[in-house]
Amino acid sequence: MTSNGAFTVVIKSTLRAVCDAGPIIHLDELNCLDLLIDFQEILLCDRVWKEVRRYRPLALKDSDLSFTLLPGGIPGNLPLLTMCQIFMLDAGETETLSLMEKNPQAIFLTDDASARLVAEQMGFKVHGTIGILLRSIRRRQRKPEEVIQILIDIPLKSTLYIKSSLLGEIILRTKGEFDL
Amino acid sequence: MKTIQTQIPEQVYKKAIALVREGWFRDEKEIFSEAIRRFLDTHRPELMEKFIRDDVEWGLHGGD
Repeated sequence: MTSNGAFTVVIKSTLRAVCDAGPIIHLDELNCLDLLIDFQEILLCDRVWKEVRRYRPLALKDSDLSFTLLPGGIPGNLPLLTMCQIFMLDAGETETLSLMEKNPQAIFLTDDASARLVAEQMGFKVHGTIGILLRSIRRRQRKPEEVIQILIDIPLKSTLYIKSSLLGEIILRTKGEFDL
Repeated sequence: MKTIQTQIPEQVYKKAIALVREGWFRDEKEIFSEAIRRFLDTHRPELMEKFIRDDVEWGLHGGD
């Protein structure tokens, strides 16, 4: 609710997301898994589902999020399959990219550099945990101060590894953007 | 050459040994060394930094 008593309605994004295990695990570690609610649909392959269930069993159980589980399979596109092999992507990443192949308009969420490189080469739109966190300000899911605190907490609370100087730069940039 | 000690999943080790037995590699050390080299090739710091910077731009100013 705004200061004049009016409600601000934020319409859910029309974006569909195909998600690798990394962002789900990292967002859950940071108590931010709810940020994915903003996406129209979140597609997961079986293998990623199992990986998340293994590392963060409560993430999928307690969450209000609904995931669409789909069989991943091997990419039918030969260049994509070859790149997955050259870049030694694991089975979860390969199956997730196979889902992207079938849903090319979706956004691919991953924190793995190799998977991201392959996805970008295929022309897919790709982002990771940092992008989702910062996007939550723009999408009015979190206040800038909250996101800055979450960014500060990353080395302490999550297994997302990011160079400390770069993280510091991102925090400063975010503060600057919102005059904090 | 540097010698390191680490732990890897049993299944990964078995697959590496199978490759050696089949004659594709001299020994398991060669496999792990090659695997790390390839991993480092695809995880260049400047590339990872670029990805994060792209994320920041999208997060703060994306149009979706």
